[in-house]
Amino acid sequence: MSNQIVKTTTEPDVTTHDVHTDPVVFTPPIDIFETAEGLVLQADLPGVAIDSLELQVQDNKLTLFGRVIPNLPENARLIHQEYAVGHFLRSFILSDEVDHDRVTAKLNQGVLEVVLPRHPKSEPRRISVTSH
Amino acid sequence: MAVFRWGQAWDPLRDLEREVDRLLASVSLSFQGVRFGRQYPPVNVYEVDDELLLTAELPGTRPEDLEVLVADGVLTIKGKRNGPVGVADDHYRRQERPRGNWQRSLTLPALIQEDKLSAEFTNGILKVRLPKAPTTTPRQIPVSDGSESV
Repeated sequence: MSNQIVKTTTEPDVTTHDVHTDPVVFTPPIDIFETAEGLVLQADLPGVAIDSLELQVQDNKLTLFGRVIPNLPENARLIHQEYAVGHFLRSFILSDEVDHDRVTAKLNQGVLEVVLPRHPKSEPRRISVTSH
Repeated sequence: MAVFRWGQAWDPLRDLEREVDRLLASVSLSFQGVRFGRQYPPVNVYEVDDELLLTAELPGTRPEDLEVLVADGVLTIKGKRNGPVGVADDHYRRQERPRGNWQRSLTLPALIQEDKLSAEFTNGILKVRLPKAPTTTPRQIPVSDGSESV
């Protein structure tokens, strides 16, 4: 069920997404926890399919935008409502310790999991000193 | 003098304002609790022709942890959502997603054919289709004139 998402390098284009046809955008609840390798972010995006999810890293900002296309018959009539259907948008500022090039993500049953590895500790580099 | 009294009169109003601020602050504090205290999972019910369609937001639930039951006009859904294995609580920097065991029972607004229920689970949304039972045609009850039989 899980798929790899290729990190996109294009400009974030979140503001132009069908704002007029469907203006409802929610902030999804998230968990962030630490692992030995770095951080893991999980976000609840019920109804978001793999091809309607955009995940972008620009500079040090991680933005997730998940579009929800309600897959309902046209003549469906709402008779009881406890949740509203809308898109999901949230962005995060990544700290410098996150290795942006190794960010990976997968989406499984409406949960996005983003793995944010830390930069590998660099070996001490010997600098040779020459005398003139 | 009147102006002076007006000046005095504003002081209690300021107190009131402060009191209202304090109340509002406590309301926004308990807002989290209200939000998470609402019934889990949230459910929508639609009517599609001669079917009821129930949808529930259950992101991150494994289909094998989901149970859908129907009996006597009451639909029960139950399941669980666990956090990741092996992550200690103090490793969390943020924890906003609800987890744990849950159960909900809903009284259905119409008679349904309980043996024809079907459910699917995609992208964290549970969809239960409940075909309505065919409506019975009204039965005429003949009324006889009571005075004749006496």
